[in-house]
Amino acid sequence: MRQAVEAIDLTQRRVQVRSMETGHTVQQPFDALLIAAGAVPICPPVEGITAAGIYTVNTLQQGVDLRDTLDRHPIKRVVVVGAGAIGLEMAENLVARGVDVSMVDLAPQVLPPLDPDMATRVAQALEALGVHLYLNEGLQGFDTQNGHVTAVITPQRALPADLVILGLGVRPNATLAADAGLALGEKGAILVDERMQASHEGIWAAGDCVTSRHVVSGRPVYVALGTVANKQGRIAGLNIAGEHATFPGVAGTAITKVHRTEIARTGLQTTDFARLGLDAVSVTIQGTTRARYYPGVEEMTVKLFAEKGSGRILGGQIVGGTGAAKRIDVIVAALFARMTADQFVNLDLAYAPPFSPTWDPLLIAARALLKRV
Amino acid sequence: MSPHTARRVIVIGVDAAGMSGASQVKRRQPSWTVRAFDRSPFALFSL
Repeated sequence: MRQAVEAIDLTQRRVQVRSMETGHTVQQPFDALLIAAGAVPICPPVEGITAAGIYTVNTLQQGVDLRDTLDRHPIKRVVVVGAGAIGLEMAENLVARGVDVSMVDLAPQVLPPLDPDMATRVAQALEALGVHLYLNEGLQGFDTQNGHVTAVITPQRALPADLVILGLGVRPNATLAADAGLALGEKGAILVDERMQASHEGIWAAGDCVTSRHVVSGRPVYVALGTVANKQGRIAGLNIAGEHATFPGVAGTAITKVHRTEIARTGLQTTDFARLGLDAVSVTIQGTTRARYYPGVEEMTVKLFAEKGSGRILGGQIVGGTGAAKRIDVIVAALFARMTADQFVNLDLAYAPPFSPTWDPLLIAARALLKRV
Repeated sequence: MSPHTARRVIVIGVDAAGMSGASQVKRRQPSWTVRAFDRSPFALFSL
């Protein structure tokens, strides 16, 4: 730990390592190299970006520093820039601390991996929580005083801020790989094959710094998620050790919540279909998380997509109360198994009143899809 | 090089992917040297 790899020499098969504490560098030879350098937060080059009081939350240390600031200083107003999963989670936790939270995003909706109609439900949940939401407003810069941020500037307004959190996503940390001459792919991530091998023999890469293959579209994608990174690392390790293992790809599965509203998605969404030349249909149904008469029942919305003609399930989204979102795993399994709506509707899903209505909302959605494919 | 020759494996990054990979290598090839490097003082913080 506290040892930074500064360069990779593919010809000599060694890396240059610098001690963060002493500054001393050494050359470390290798027979096999696994690059798991992760990702770095996106920080736009706008005026004031280096001011104190502006945080990203990509590393544990950044999280610790942010929490310490919140604990020690009278932070009353926070602006969260970016309405993705990180922004939502930060907003919820800040509201729980009694902070006044504003959220801005250039996009016309929160959570871009959702369809707009599903994202609207999430926006409503945020506003019900007390978050001031400003969509279609991009970050222009920051006002500062004595080197500390005082406001977030958009084309429409200046939002006063004691502290700012940037949740603008991440980009692959692939500079070392690029400088070494390794091939890059989608979004500048390290290009790897299904065994997680990079473009040079004996060089492997996994996690937030690599490209992946989408299991539904078959196209290269960039996905930065810990679950994927763990699996890819395992595959790379197996292959380095002399085994033969392959990683099947990703479905873009994600899950989060805003207070009691759960949100999940997997597979393709409407904006993908035209781009991929797919003739797809979708249905959106309202259901409940339990039998309607059972205590604690909550509403949930399921949106399910299938290819017209074949009926192949292409993706799904869920927004609802407690117990709604984890149902996405059923759709994930259907995607990996290349199930059709006709196969999906006959799945023997578990049922008892505390957990589901007789017909689970997922199956109701599949039945509705059958009428459209 | 034979996969059974003692090998030197270097891992850049000690979070999910790096440690997952490193542990698989060490489990299957316990005689190999596996060195993992990261500028951070924390490992595996996202698991």
